[in-house]
Amino acid sequence: MANQVEQPAQRDLVISRILNAPRELVFKAWTDPKHIAKWWGPKGFTAPVCKLDVRVGGAILIHMRGPDGVVYPMHGVFREIIVPERLVFISKALEDEKGNAGFEVVTTVTFDEHNGKTKLSLHAAVTVLKPTSEVAKSLGGMEVGWNQSLDRLTALVEEATIS
Amino acid sequence: MRRDVFQAIADPTRREIINLIAHQSLNINSVTRNFDVSRTAIYKHIKILSECGLVVLKQQGREHFCEARLEKLNQVSVWIEQYRKIWDARLDSLENYLDQLQTKRKKRPWVKTQRKKNIKH
Repeated sequence: MANQVEQPAQRDLVISRILNAPRELVFKAWTDPKHIAKWWGPKGFTAPVCKLDVRVGGAILIHMRGPDGVVYPMHGVFREIIVPERLVFISKALEDEKGNAGFEVVTTVTFDEHNGKTKLSLHAAVTVLKPTSEVAKSLGGMEVGWNQSLDRLTALVEEATIS
Repeated sequence: MRRDVFQAIADPTRREIINLIAHQSLNINSVTRNFDVSRTAIYKHIKILSECGLVVLKQQGREHFCEARLEKLNQVSVWIEQYRKIWDARLDSLENYLDQLQTKRKKRPWVKTQRKKNIKH
């Protein structure tokens, strides 16, 4: 399916996709824990905890469990819900033991009808809360680490940033 | 005022300044020569960059040289780049899941398999 990735500014992430499914179903896949548990994590991951309180101010709690048994938690709060058009939620990343986050991400997902298909647009605005070396250190083992080689990626991004 | 890396790179002139000094330190006049704005304006940008920790100003005689410190920039870019990959993979997964759901509903599980079998060896 069509997939476009663009970065209008360094702090923002914009992705859009045309999904071959009606809007109501796509929205349901985003808001029903039973559905989310099936697609949120990478291949081989399970979701032992998947709780969504779908109302403004309601909490999102997803624990993804990797094949190696490591659990990657994701905490968030819904900020806006318009069925079946729009979802806005805030999540924190790189949390330390005290629960202080390194980054805060506001994710806006919009669902548009597109000839019987659904155009999904995702916009993630990232704010650094604590631009310290702690954040840099934890980058290695963070939730989104998955299987990327950080060194290779750093070189790649460095190139992109400087040129 | 609290500054962060994102403020530093939000402005196109500041991004341009970072590009200029990324490989060599330059004094403020040399930086200014690359722009159509005043030295004062450029100095303000450099000051913000230094407050964000992306530039260090070093005095050599009467000149102030700007040296780039790009480590912080990498933290942010690396994170966003990884985040983008996460979402790409996650949306792939959503796409597959939606396909599965609908195939089940239509009770035509062969439709997708058939498409895949079209590859000739």
